[in-house]
Amino acid sequence: MSEWLFFLEVTLAGLGSGALLSLTALAYVLIYKATRVVNLAVGEMLMLGAYFFFSVAAGWGLTAWIALPLAVIGGGLVGAVVERGMIRPMLGENPISIFMVTVGLGSILVGTVELFWGTDPRALPAFISTKPLFLGEAYVSRKIAVAFVVAAAVIGVFLMLFRFWRGGVALRATATDQAAAYSCGINVPGVFSAAWIIGGATAAGAGVLLGAIGGISPSMGVFGLSALVVVIVGGLDSVLGALIGGLALGMIQSWTSTYLGGEYTSVVTFGILILALMLRPYGLFGTHEIERL
Amino acid sequence: MNMRNWTGRAVLAGATAVGLLATPVAAQQEEIVIGGSLPLTGVFAFAGVAVEKGMSDYVQIINDAGGIEGRQLRFVYEDTGYEVNQSVGVFNKLTSQNEIDLYYGDSTGFAKTIAPELARRGEMIMGGASFASELNNAEEFPYTFIAGPDYIQQVGILLEYIAEESPGASIALVNSDTEFGRDPIEATKARAAELGLEIAEEIITPPGAADVSTEVLRLRRARPDYIIFHGYVLSPIPEFMSQVRELGLDAKFMGTFWSMDGSLWQSVGEAADGFMGVMPYRYYYDDEAAPMLERIREMRPEYQATGYMQGFFTAMLMAEAAERVLKNGEEITGDTLKAALSTITDFDTGGIFGVPVSVKENAVPFGRVYVYNAESGQMEATSDWIELDE
Repeated sequence: MSEWLFFLEVTLAGLGSGALLSLTALAYVLIYKATRVVNLAVGEMLMLGAYFFFSVAAGWGLTAWIALPLAVIGGGLVGAVVERGMIRPMLGENPISIFMVTVGLGSILVGTVELFWGTDPRALPAFISTKPLFLGEAYVSRKIAVAFVVAAAVIGVFLMLFRFWRGGVALRATATDQAAAYSCGINVPGVFSAAWIIGGATAAGAGVLLGAIGGISPSMGVFGLSALVVVIVGGLDSVLGALIGGLALGMIQSWTSTYLGGEYTSVVTFGILILALMLRPYGLFGTHEIERL
Repeated sequence: MNMRNWTGRAVLAGATAVGLLATPVAAQQEEIVIGGSLPLTGVFAFAGVAVEKGMSDYVQIINDAGGIEGRQLRFVYEDTGYEVNQSVGVFNKLTSQNEIDLYYGDSTGFAKTIAPELARRGEMIMGGASFASELNNAEEFPYTFIAGPDYIQQVGILLEYIAEESPGASIALVNSDTEFGRDPIEATKARAAELGLEIAEEIITPPGAADVSTEVLRLRRARPDYIIFHGYVLSPIPEFMSQVRELGLDAKFMGTFWSMDGSLWQSVGEAADGFMGVMPYRYYYDDEAAPMLERIREMRPEYQATGYMQGFFTAMLMAEAAERVLKNGEEITGDTLKAALSTITDFDTGGIFGVPVSVKENAVPFGRVYVYNAESGQMEATSDWIELDE
């Protein structure tokens, strides 16, 4: 096998795993864009979605095509409950206080999962074919290819919605200036709820894809940390930033792992985070007035 | 009331108070107390929950049989969330409230952190969830023991098996980028060379990595006969197996103790078929004669995970050491316990191990290779018991 073909395969693998990062990053962006809340519990909401899928698919024995939408709906419901029960009462409080509430939320979600599903790591019922996929001569894991296509489609849909859909425009308006949005008749609290519901659903979907590849455990929410790097680099309020940042980080991680060794992956990932915070804290595509937390 | 009555009543009250206070103290002194920093929540909770059950059951077995030389065992523990600072906090709390003789620690980090304190106190010995090779050094860790083979020995057992089954075979090492994962790498390479085995590829994965496509590409280039995983519980081994098989590689997959629980592999299903690894203890469902396993099955009719066996055997070693100390007429201290532990040779575990075992240095270097059979949903023995000399 030529070195170039190997490099191409490594790059494709990176793009695939980067798509998963992008999808998870999207959950951060959706919530931040509408509500200005950095939700540190995205990783745990992702984990909960994967456990919802596990319960329906393995526990109730239903097919993945029923379990997947149910898991996504469950994730949306969790988003709704969190918004109404924990975030809305905090409106007007210091952003750091709300940020800390989401940190606590992450612990609560981990505890809830351990309580209901136990602490054992588990594998999700197989619902994606494992037959190898070749693009020309280049090998791509089918699961990774599916994750890439799903993530690209979801992010593409969101980009379109923000541009052309009334709800998307309302969300952008709310993000730009809440008072002005109110005065234009936009239901700002409704937009907040919608952002959390869609963010929760997106995280749950990402959790199912991630769980299908790597299995599930109460600690899988740590994946959210890498996605947080993506949104900080890409821009906390930029859907396009989440897409490009995720794919770029996926490729960089893949190259690092192959050519330097897996032990350097975290060093490079968080090195990029530090550089981004020093040089461009609002991210590559983010709005400039974002404050550093 | 005259002065005499007052004095008499005061003396009586004082004596009663002293008596009331003294009674529990005396009772406590009669007990042998096992303390524990256990990960009942957090990333290692699956193990901590099982360990707690195993240790509690053995304590009950001993107590039901009248205790050790008439002294009852008492097990006190608290959750640590698998955080070293929390483990130390639990240790300080439990040791301030109890006269602890034996202790179970939940991680290598905690074992290393608390080792100087164990030496300073000189009151107890400590086993735990860690099989770190570093702890298998009686000079550096005189009050620590490992209830099985350390990680270098575990991989050593696998290498012995490979050298016997496929002389000259090539091996890929896949380790997590954690202290746990990196533990045996250098020693494995040296031992493989001694046994004439080739290390064809070394892969380190970041902790928490889900996608392994990149690493699988490297395995495809190396085309090893065996792939040894270490530093994982379940994920990402199934994904490695699935993708490597997708690519048509004919490699065998192996793991070490914490990735060897059968129930975890059951959830993976057909793709788990053929996963092999080293197991220091018998499985709950093993059908060879084993009175202690039968006792366990009576106490708990449902399957018990490998962590249970680890906790059970740790408590067994602790109790055996304490019994030897008391039979020698000695006082229970860290030194006497450790000396007694070191005298354990050809110890009959009632079938927890398939052969009589011995403590060597700080570890019990015995193990057996098992393979997962997806059809039966069980781990099945594929080798005899292997004892390492070193």
